[in-house]
Amino acid sequence: MLPMIHVDDAKCPDPLGCRKCLLVCPTRVLGLGTNVAQKKYQETDPSRYIVRGVRFQVCTACMKCVEVCPNGAIQVTLDRGVAA
Amino acid sequence: MCMWCERYGEGFERWYLNPANYARRLYKVRKEEIEAEGAEANPQAAGGMLGVGRDFLEARERGDLETVQRLRKTVQDLSWMIHFGQVVTVEEVHQILEFMYPIGLMTCACRRSMRGLPNDDNWTCIGMGPGMYKWERWPETYRGGMVFLSPEEAKEVIDTLNRRGLVHCLYTFGTPYLGGLCNCDYPDCGGLRTVLDADVRVVWKGHYIAEVDTEACNGCALCPKRCQFKALNFSPSTLKAYIDPMKCFGCGLCRNVCKPNAITLVDRATLPALANVW
Repeated sequence: MLPMIHVDDAKCPDPLGCRKCLLVCPTRVLGLGTNVAQKKYQETDPSRYIVRGVRFQVCTACMKCVEVCPNGAIQVTLDRGVAA
Repeated sequence: MCMWCERYGEGFERWYLNPANYARRLYKVRKEEIEAEGAEANPQAAGGMLGVGRDFLEARERGDLETVQRLRKTVQDLSWMIHFGQVVTVEEVHQILEFMYPIGLMTCACRRSMRGLPNDDNWTCIGMGPGMYKWERWPETYRGGMVFLSPEEAKEVIDTLNRRGLVHCLYTFGTPYLGGLCNCDYPDCGGLRTVLDADVRVVWKGHYIAEVDTEACNGCALCPKRCQFKALNFSPSTLKAYIDPMKCFGCGLCRNVCKPNAITLVDRATLPALANVW
C-alpha cells in the first residue's frame, strides 16, 4: 500500500530554510513545490514553498520526517486511515 | 536508429552534434511555444520535478496497466515535444563545448526541489546558448544567478562533475532546441527519477553501451558505484564487473574509473538487439 503523506502548510512556514524532513528521509520521498505557479526568471517568495510527498512508492512509513519536524506538520498514514 | 538523429541530425553523426539545434533561430520558436504552455503551470507538479504523480503510482499498484500506459504516454509525448533529455559521454560534451556559445554555469533546479539545496552547494547545471543572456541581465532574480564560462573552464567543470560521479545529459527546451547540459544523479534528478522509477522516457539512453572485457577486469569493484542506472554490479561468483546492457544508458562513467581499461563503450547501433532500445 502506498502511504499517505499529509503536510499542514500552516505549520510549515519556511520549508526551503528548514528542510529537515527533506534531508532526513532515507529514500527521498519528499519534494519541494510551490503553491503558486513559478514566474519566469523570478525567485518565488520563500513563504510560497510547500513540502509534498513525491516518491510514495519508496516510503516505508519509518516516521523519521514526522519526528524531525519541529512543528508537527507532517502526518504519514497507511491504508484505512490507520495511523502508523 | 535514434529518432532524434533521424529528424534533427541533418547529416551530422548525432543530432546533438548539429550546431543548428543550439541556434537562436530555434530559441525564438521555443519561446513562443513555451509561453503558450505556460498558462498550464501546475504548482503540484513542481514538487520534486516529477512528470507523473500519485495517480500514476496508484494505478500501477492496483495493476491498472491501461491507465499506467495512458499516463505514461501523456507525459512522454509532452516531454518529447518540450523538454526531454539524452545521456551523452564526457567526450561528446567536450565536443559540444567547442561550438556552443555562450556557456553558463547555474544551480540545479531538481536537486533544489528534492533537498532544498542552498545555491552554494548546487552549481552543477550548465545552460547553453542565447537563453543565457537573460540570466546575466537579471542575476539576482533567479536562484543565485549564473556565471559565464569559457569553453576551457566549462570542460574543467564537467571533468570535476564527472569525477564526482554525475551523469551528463543534454536537455531540450522546445525540441529540438538544446539549452541545458545537466549533470545528474539518481534519485535527485527529476529526469533520471522519472525514467527509472516510472519508466517514462523523459531521458533517452545514450548512443553507447558499456562492455566489460572480463580478461582485463581486475575485480577492483570501483565501477559499480559509478552507475546511476542500476545496470552495473559486481559479481561475487566471477569477481568481475557485470553490466546489464538493457539497463545501460551508455554514460561511460564506469569506464572513467577503470584502471586496466577493461570497460569500453560500443556504439548501440552495432548491436542489433539494442539498436532500438532507448
